[in-house]
Amino acid sequence: MGLLVARDLTVSASLDGGRVPVIRDLSFTLKAGKMLGLVGESGAGKSMVGRTVAQLLPSGFAVSGGSLVFSEANLVTMEPEARRALLGREIAFIPQEPLSALNPVLTIRTQFDEHLARIGVAAGDRRPRMLELFDAVHLPHAADLLRRYPHQLSGGMCQRVLIAFAFASKPKLVIADEPTTALDVTIQARIVRLIAEMQERENTAVVFITHDLRLAAQVCDDILVLYAGRAVEYGPARQVFATSGHPYTRCLQLANPAMSGKRRGLYALPERMPGLRAWNGIKGCAFAPRCPNVIEDCTRAMPPLVEVGPNHAAACIRADKTARIAAPALVPAAEPRQTAPVLEVSGLGKRFVAGGLLRRSEVAALSDVGFSLHENEFIGIVGESGSGKSTLARLIVGLETPSQGRIAIAGHDASHPDFDEHRRRHVQMVFQDPQSALNPRRRVASIVTQPLEAAGVATWEERLARADLLLGEIGLPPEAAMRFPQQLSGGQRQRVNIARALCAVPRILIADEIVSGLDVSVQAQLLNLLAALRRERQFSMLFISHDLSVVRHLCDRVLVMYRGEVVESGPTEQVFAAPAHEYTRMLLAAVPPDDPAEVWQGLHA
Amino acid sequence: MTSILSLIARRIFVSVAILVIVSALLFCILRRLPVDPAAMSLPPNATLAEIEAKRHEMGLDLPLFRQYLIWLGQVAYGDLGISIHFRRGVAGLITSTLPATIELAVLAMLIAGALGIAGGLFMFHVRGTAREAVADAGSIALLSLPEFLWGLFFILLFGVALELLPFTGRLSSGFERPVITGFLLLDTLLMRRLDMFWDALKHMILPSLALGLAFSPTIMRVLRSSLIDVYQEDYIHQARLRGLSERRILVHHALKNAILPTLSLMGVQFGFLFGGTLLIEVIYSYPGLGNLMVDAVRNADLPIIQAVGLAYCVVVLAINTVVDALYVVLNPKLRVT
Repeated sequence: MGLLVARDLTVSASLDGGRVPVIRDLSFTLKAGKMLGLVGESGAGKSMVGRTVAQLLPSGFAVSGGSLVFSEANLVTMEPEARRALLGREIAFIPQEPLSALNPVLTIRTQFDEHLARIGVAAGDRRPRMLELFDAVHLPHAADLLRRYPHQLSGGMCQRVLIAFAFASKPKLVIADEPTTALDVTIQARIVRLIAEMQERENTAVVFITHDLRLAAQVCDDILVLYAGRAVEYGPARQVFATSGHPYTRCLQLANPAMSGKRRGLYALPERMPGLRAWNGIKGCAFAPRCPNVIEDCTRAMPPLVEVGPNHAAACIRADKTARIAAPALVPAAEPRQTAPVLEVSGLGKRFVAGGLLRRSEVAALSDVGFSLHENEFIGIVGESGSGKSTLARLIVGLETPSQGRIAIAGHDASHPDFDEHRRRHVQMVFQDPQSALNPRRRVASIVTQPLEAAGVATWEERLARADLLLGEIGLPPEAAMRFPQQLSGGQRQRVNIARALCAVPRILIADEIVSGLDVSVQAQLLNLLAALRRERQFSMLFISHDLSVVRHLCDRVLVMYRGEVVESGPTEQVFAAPAHEYTRMLLAAVPPDDPAEVWQGLHA
Repeated sequence: MTSILSLIARRIFVSVAILVIVSALLFCILRRLPVDPAAMSLPPNATLAEIEAKRHEMGLDLPLFRQYLIWLGQVAYGDLGISIHFRRGVAGLITSTLPATIELAVLAMLIAGALGIAGGLFMFHVRGTAREAVADAGSIALLSLPEFLWGLFFILLFGVALELLPFTGRLSSGFERPVITGFLLLDTLLMRRLDMFWDALKHMILPSLALGLAFSPTIMRVLRSSLIDVYQEDYIHQARLRGLSERRILVHHALKNAILPTLSLMGVQFGFLFGGTLLIEVIYSYPGLGNLMVDAVRNADLPIIQAVGLAYCVVVLAINTVVDALYVVLNPKLRVT
């Protein structure tokens, strides 16, 4: 008997007057001391499972069938007060956004004290217990930390504090909802290790919700893959990854760029998961419209979960054909031209002034950065947040002025009278968050042709014609031209964002984390798009990313930044295969390996 | 702590600058009025020559800028001039009426705050139910009634019809008005005259309630919407996941955050409320700054108008400084450590 057992659990939402199942017939068994990974793209219903355990569903959502049994008590039919008594004591949660999960106006101590009081720790024992728990989650200077407010801590520290909260009551079940997504890569491994360590110590069962398949493969015992609210595959982690039964699992793996071995093409699933509103109309397999192995039978009836191995099931009628799905061949990019560089940076530094009138101090955000970008070359810039990646980008685009050093674009530097003009024409930036980078009150056609508007030469008809061309190039249908940004999906918005930068036919594109926060299938689509554009357009790019695998896939060379300095640079594959700098080694170790059978250095270091 | 002190220091510096500008504006506008202080301070049968001599004596023949500088110099020494009508020092008139108005405004603000917070909590509590529409309509009705209508209504209801409460002046006849600080409620307590304290309080209930009621609906609505925003935050969801009771989440987590925008609104509101005392004082024959101002305007008593205008300005600036400091105390993100 498991600790948490779901049997045909169905959660539905009232939508447009009807009810749509957001979780359908979900069954799983989680035993004490085990970790179950819930994976899938955003909107698949992963987080809804966690919320169902707490029965804190968004309004309009309710369990409409099946059972969810915790320690032999059905959470669905339980009295709300009895269920609340379990929360924080027997069932604890680790959130996705550690910084916003703590109350900003209360000290850590006040909040910890409240939690300990709630789980029944006597007033006199609370402080020693806090210090003991902080020690367990490897938080130094515990006494000082207690006096702090959440905004004074880093995301990683906040997450440790929240893990200490979660394990304070020695819970039987912990639900970790994307606990490392908002954190830096180097911290990710440590946080995951910490959760695993605490789990072992208290023999806790953990539900680990993540979109990162490699991570799930490393830390989870069992994996459950969700697609459009249904379990499409369920089984032991290693088997789910090594011998995937469902095409979706296989395609997601192939959409992820490899961290070792030869570079390969990315499998970009077409379209995207159907939205909630469409779920009721789905007949047969929800994945069928995107599936490379689809046959007519797939659309007739919803395929049941069938055994494909020991304790391993997949909801596919052609599971035996799944292994045949292969990534497309890598189309080689044109070699960078070793002529005069289009961008030359030398001795670049930026200092920011901190503090007020009295205690004025200078902080170096960037010091002595130098490199050159050749025509048709993609350079990746990697490093943790705060390493100066974005400052470098902003300096090159001209959003900040350098404190020292030289930037030369196509041979002209700041001493040239037309430098600004020159820079505007040749350098374009794509920002990280298309949601906020695109004016919500403008139509797509007007957004993507903004550079023409700035030049003030084109008529509206000319702009529409140009928009049509651009949209074709970035793979959006022509009718998208008259849409508003909020009518598009996240991936489509990022395409619009890229199209706008391409409109001016720049020679240099600066992309700041443009694929982070997107689902792997969308990420693969965008990476393939960038590679195709590079072949057709011949432009150079500075590609800033915290995701090493993406940089490895896309970039010819890489700059590794640490505390405002470039600590290592060179051809991407070479640097990643044989890193010379300690920091590069650390970054690489923080990424879970491609092969789940391989030992993850970062987790066991 | 240092950040709060430096904030206050900065605010005082800015306030002085604002005061100089406001006083210059006041001075110029008042001097442009078609009234002649010299003629007014002489008997009606004075000759033109006498008036001219008086003008010279009062410095009214000097350029406006010189006149202003002279006046400013006197103000710096606490000399606000002599009232043309009362023939008394303006400074004395101000110090005897300002405390009454401050007392009234503070009491009204407390009432507005209490009603606003209670109403905001109620409106938040009934959100999404049928009662929400009723609460919403009620708050809009409150919002659309100005303080003087409440004032008149209360006089008719509680004063005239029910004869429950007094509605003129600050004290019933028969009480000797004590002067220690000028704040009547405080003075009566200092003298341990509870009967007198009670009498003074009864006189203040209707005017302060009228003012407070008029200013409470905005506070209600802002608190309600801040609470709704705060309840969208992750930390509220997380508190629920820790199994905290809804009551505890409201009091210890939501309210402490939602009160911040409400508080800054109350700071702004206080300025309007302080201006609103003028009409209420007139309606209730309450001997404060407002009545002094109205008398002064009626008599074209320029020194008083000028001084009262400045006094309003000082009070509003002081309150805003206090609210800003309080905001820093309550919001740790603004504290530099």
